[in-house]
Amino acid sequence: MSATDNIVSVRGVKRRYKMGDEEVWALAGVDLDIRRGEYLSIMGPSGSGKSTLFNMIGGLDRPTEGQVLMDGQDVRGMDVRQIAYLRCHKVGFIFQTFNLVEVMTAEQNVMLPMTFAGVTDGEASGRARMLLEKVGLGKRYDHRPAQLSGGQQQRVAIARSLANDPDLILADEPTGNLDLKTGEEIIKMLSKFTKEMGKTVISATHDDKMLAASDRVVYLVDGQITQIKTQAELDIKIGGIADRSTGAAH
Amino acid sequence: MTPMQQIAILPYRKVIAIAMRGLRFRLVKTFLVTCCIALALAFLTYILCSNGMTAHLADRASDALQQRLAREGMLDQLKSADKQSQTAWMLGIALLISFVGIVNAMLISVTERFREIGTMKCLGGLDSFIVKLYLIESLFQGVVGTVLGMVIGVILAYVEGVGRFGGDTWNLLPPGELAVLLVVTFGTGIVLTVAGALYPAWRAAKMEPVDAMRSEV
Ligand SMILES: Nc1ncnc2c1ncn2[C@@H]1O[C@H](COP(=O)(O)OP(=O)(O)OP(=O)(O)O)[C@@H](O)[C@H]1O
Ligand SMILES: [Mg+2]
Repeated sequence: MSATDNIVSVRGVKRRYKMGDEEVWALAGVDLDIRRGEYLSIMGPSGSGKSTLFNMIGGLDRPTEGQVLMDGQDVRGMDVRQIAYLRCHKVGFIFQTFNLVEVMTAEQNVMLPMTFAGVTDGEASGRARMLLEKVGLGKRYDHRPAQLSGGQQQRVAIARSLANDPDLILADEPTGNLDLKTGEEIIKMLSKFTKEMGKTVISATHDDKMLAASDRVVYLVDGQITQIKTQAELDIKIGGIADRSTGAAH
Repeated sequence: MTPMQQIAILPYRKVIAIAMRGLRFRLVKTFLVTCCIALALAFLTYILCSNGMTAHLADRASDALQQRLAREGMLDQLKSADKQSQTAWMLGIALLISFVGIVNAMLISVTERFREIGTMKCLGGLDSFIVKLYLIESLFQGVVGTVLGMVIGVILAYVEGVGRFGGDTWNLLPPGELAVLLVVTFGTGIVLTVAGALYPAWRAAKMEPVDAMRSEV
């Protein structure tokens, strides 16, 4: 497979944290190729290294060992302004805690990545309104995060993640702070838009009910990938999941 | 392979717009910090003005006023070295307190806003943008607080002057000297606030965006 088929390649990535004398290997050697346009879920118990892996892919953290290639380019070789470009243009982040800027309205939040990208205010505002319309918040563009429900805030975050039309959306437990129904709506919305726009999505979750949208599911335990399942394999498993004997062990 | 692209530097106009939005939203905090600066600067301006007036009593006051002050024994009292060093001390302490107040208020705002700062960095904000954001916020509060403080200080000094020296007050301070005095106070106010924001701004810029991703609040 040529490098361009994979939007992200993770090669032998290890990440060590030192806590006093103790060493924790948050990632203990991960190899993973993420295909352009796929919806990939990462499943794993708390502390298995999901967020650490995310941070590597999004250019928020650098590996202790190994390589992360974005579009074939090694993240480790990038300087601060190149990393910022990556975060701004190539990746859209969605967080568990929404992370909207509280002093800004929904519209201004969606405009922020475009402002960093040098887009003019008029153009950014137009695109922000369009994206908010798309996530069903067209009338709420002037509301601040505190005036929106959790589900609405996360929809603003989805709109914000699409602001600069990045190829990759990184969502770290996007439904972690939402009730089941709202969570399912968010996942549906996320997968619908990203499929429409041909985006790649990497999403972490605890909950196997959130896996329906995935093309592939990666299982992470103690900083290592234990298995990777395709949608077809998942369908079979979901049939057998009724007795709750499979799925993530947590 | 395409060459690696890098992010553009955000123009000051945009940074200012973002800073102003934050200041307006956190109005109470902005007001308190501005008042703290204004208070210290009012004190500084007042002391410098009224010292300046006293210093010119001998050469610029009318004969009538000089005779009256001499009769009341106020001339010596106003010029006594004790009083001068006492005011210098108070002045130093007032400036120090306001400096510490600014550093403290700014540091608190860094801790409170760690998620906001981290989020901005995740979205493509550079460290230099965060530094500028903090410096502009403090500069704005510094300018407003300083000007406000200077106005209050001058008014206080002249009100008190009129009470003590009557109509002569207006002639005591030569305009040139007053201008120099105001420039010096303005400069002190700005240096004080910007210096107070430097360390907090640096701390904010050094915050890891990873912290914004953390689920624990
Ligand atoms: N900054 C840090 N300092 C020290 N150890 C850390 C740090 N960040 C993560 N770790 C450790 O790395 C391991 C993996 O953490 P990570 O946050 O990636 O897990 P996770 O799978 O995202 O968990 P959760 O589902 O709870 O979010 C954990 O053992 C954690 O304690
Ligand atoms: Mg996590």
